[in-house]
Amino acid sequence: MPKKKYQDVYEEFKKIGQAIFLAGLNNSHSGNMSLRIGDQILITRRGSMLGFLKDTDIIKTGLSRNDSGVALASSELGIHRAILNNTSALAVVHTHPLTATALSLVMPEIIAIDVEGSYYFRKIPVLSFEFGSASKEMEEKLPVTLKNYKSVMVKGHGAFSIGQTLEEAFQYAHITENIAQIIYRAKVMGADLSQLQNAKYLKW
Amino acid sequence: MLYGWMGQIIEVDLSVRQVKFIPLDRAQAKIYLGGRGLGARILYDRVLPKIKPFDPDNLLIFTTGPLTATTSPTSGRFSLTTKSPLTGTIFESNSGEKWGYRFKKCGFDALIIKGSADRPVNLIISNDRIEFEEANDYWGLGLHQTKQKILSRHGEGAVFLAIGPAGENKVLISCIMNNGRRALGRGGVGAVMGSKKLKAIVIKEATGSVPIADPEQMKFIVYESNKMLRAHPMTSKGLPEFGTSVLVNVINEVGIFPTRNFQQTQFAEASKISGETIAEKIFVKRTGCAGCSIQCGRITRTSAGEGEGPEFESVWALGANCGISDLDLVARASHLCNELGLDTISTGGVLACAMELSQRKIIKTDLKFGVSKNLLDYIKKIAFRKGIGNELAEGSRRFACKYKAEKYAMQVKGLDLPAYDPRGSQGMGLSYATSPRGACHLRGGYMIGAEILGVPKMINRFSRTGKGSYLAEIQNAEAAIDSLIACRFATFALGTSYWARLISAVTGLNYTSEDLIAVGERIINLERLYNLREGFTYKDDTLPSRLLKEKVLAGPAKGYVVDLQPMLEEYYQFRGWDKRGVPTEKKLKLLNL
Repeated sequence: MPKKKYQDVYEEFKKIGQAIFLAGLNNSHSGNMSLRIGDQILITRRGSMLGFLKDTDIIKTGLSRNDSGVALASSELGIHRAILNNTSALAVVHTHPLTATALSLVMPEIIAIDVEGSYYFRKIPVLSFEFGSASKEMEEKLPVTLKNYKSVMVKGHGAFSIGQTLEEAFQYAHITENIAQIIYRAKVMGADLSQLQNAKYLKW
Repeated sequence: MLYGWMGQIIEVDLSVRQVKFIPLDRAQAKIYLGGRGLGARILYDRVLPKIKPFDPDNLLIFTTGPLTATTSPTSGRFSLTTKSPLTGTIFESNSGEKWGYRFKKCGFDALIIKGSADRPVNLIISNDRIEFEEANDYWGLGLHQTKQKILSRHGEGAVFLAIGPAGENKVLISCIMNNGRRALGRGGVGAVMGSKKLKAIVIKEATGSVPIADPEQMKFIVYESNKMLRAHPMTSKGLPEFGTSVLVNVINEVGIFPTRNFQQTQFAEASKISGETIAEKIFVKRTGCAGCSIQCGRITRTSAGEGEGPEFESVWALGANCGISDLDLVARASHLCNELGLDTISTGGVLACAMELSQRKIIKTDLKFGVSKNLLDYIKKIAFRKGIGNELAEGSRRFACKYKAEKYAMQVKGLDLPAYDPRGSQGMGLSYATSPRGACHLRGGYMIGAEILGVPKMINRFSRTGKGSYLAEIQNAEAAIDSLIACRFATFALGTSYWARLISAVTGLNYTSEDLIAVGERIINLERLYNLREGFTYKDDTLPSRLLKEKVLAGPAKGYVVDLQPMLEEYYQFRGWDKRGVPTEKKLKLLNL
């Protein structure tokens, strides 16, 4: 396929990658993102710097079928494929947000207490795995939870957020961290979270 | 105990005037929900392949959905499925007002009408009692008089579906009118009802209620949903304040407002027929469907009296597409179409086609772009099949073909294009080409949302890469929404995750957002199988040559044509269809088809 066909997509990867980095959702080399096009997946290269992506950092391979692209793709390729194959999402953004990851260690699920967070999510499920990175268990369980939620936390690891575009998935990743930051700051200021959380959102 | 569904279907055979009650297939209901999905399943299973649309064995299948007549937002909708005489495809259309709401409260999920009466007849439903009424004295009446007669005979509270003279005369662009003001539009569904000599379906009394599995959870989700509807600018301000015509200026400014039969993409006088001008000059009051807080409908007053509308599509079809900017006339034309039971988009489409044929001296008529004095006469000629109206009544494709000028008919699979020029919205081009019922913004996938309005996110409207995948997902979601049934306008504010929670609370079955998408995908594939069975092929997934070959000459979309083929290839690939657009066995197995 001539490279030009995907140029628009490459530019989108670069723009969103930089935005993710500037938002502080990843460290210099962490995180990854992918986009489904037909039966192909475009995914960031293993070890690439999302804030400074080049065309060669965006790897094309099959959504199900392997080819030489798998040698370069992110180590989380299997999870991205599982999500894109088993949900209607067309884009996945994986981030390592500091506060949300910290909260995932101490909360069974994250209930939004701010208006913007409640508007979008109401709650963010937290999943716990014996091996919480690129594991088969994650490939099986993450898509199931993402059938009803736009963003999910993996305990002690980070967020997987989905959308129909990279921008949408990025937005949900960013909202995830914002929700966590507001909870954390309110708690530090002495707030009683049980008074601020809408108990009904547990059933959302 | 069944929740959300009523568990019963009425089957009426007009040929022998017989009524049967049959149980709803629960397994089918679970995976097709209702509305569009259930209608498609019934049509596919029960109508013989290649049947002629006016054959008595063609069915009119009216379906409600599990959310109909509940407290769910926009729950007043119902659906009709049949084989279209205009396109020859499967054809589903849905509408609001009160009929579906009341029908379900009679205790039924669907009404299947087969056969053909030997003389005009009405169907009168009063809870679980169904009667036939002789309708000789209704036949030939417009919708206004039909309504008066129905209300005087059956009480002021009666609601009804009826055809006008256009349906009676089997005009291929006729509608079934809903309470005289809304419509089951497009595809000539009114003509199918006319072919069965069925003038009206009246509901006199409906006192039942829909059983809800988890009323507490339902209350909570409805509360949360209404918060979103009140917060979204489109559902809380744009549509309530200006109606659907709020789009006129938006669409014109981005250069995709088809003008003079798609010869231009901007209408210099658009502001004269915009939602703002309607609000200022002819607006009387807001109106809307049962169970809806948006209330996008409007009653307007013209020099000829009051009526409902015009909607955005009607303003465009009878206005810009014909080069006409006289708002009073456009509104009168729209009201007249309602009175006669004509589809406004296709009426404007075929008139604009005839205007271009006149412009090019292919035919000789006094139809000219921008000339308004004879517009109403031509609409009447179409409804009554008088003079050239008899040719126009066949729709733009057949009309233009007669004069060997098919390329000037702006249609796909026989259905006239709606109000968005896809050269400036590439995904919309793919949507028109792949819609199961022909060029349609509602059944092909509303790409204007993402490409123009930025809902849920703005995507590059001129780009082709990724559009096939994106559109397929939109189509899946929308097919599910059409089966619940909810209004598309509510989806500006409510994504599938809300609808999944609403239907779970109503039915007690655990639907995820992805389950709904899977329902939609199954429906799209079933509709595809139906059309393939009727002889349609990948060659029909195309657009008028003007949109593929003639570059836009001016405006924001200048220089563009629709680059359809690469998007189509990606679309088939994403869907798991082969290169000829046929669903693979693997895909069908996956979908339980």
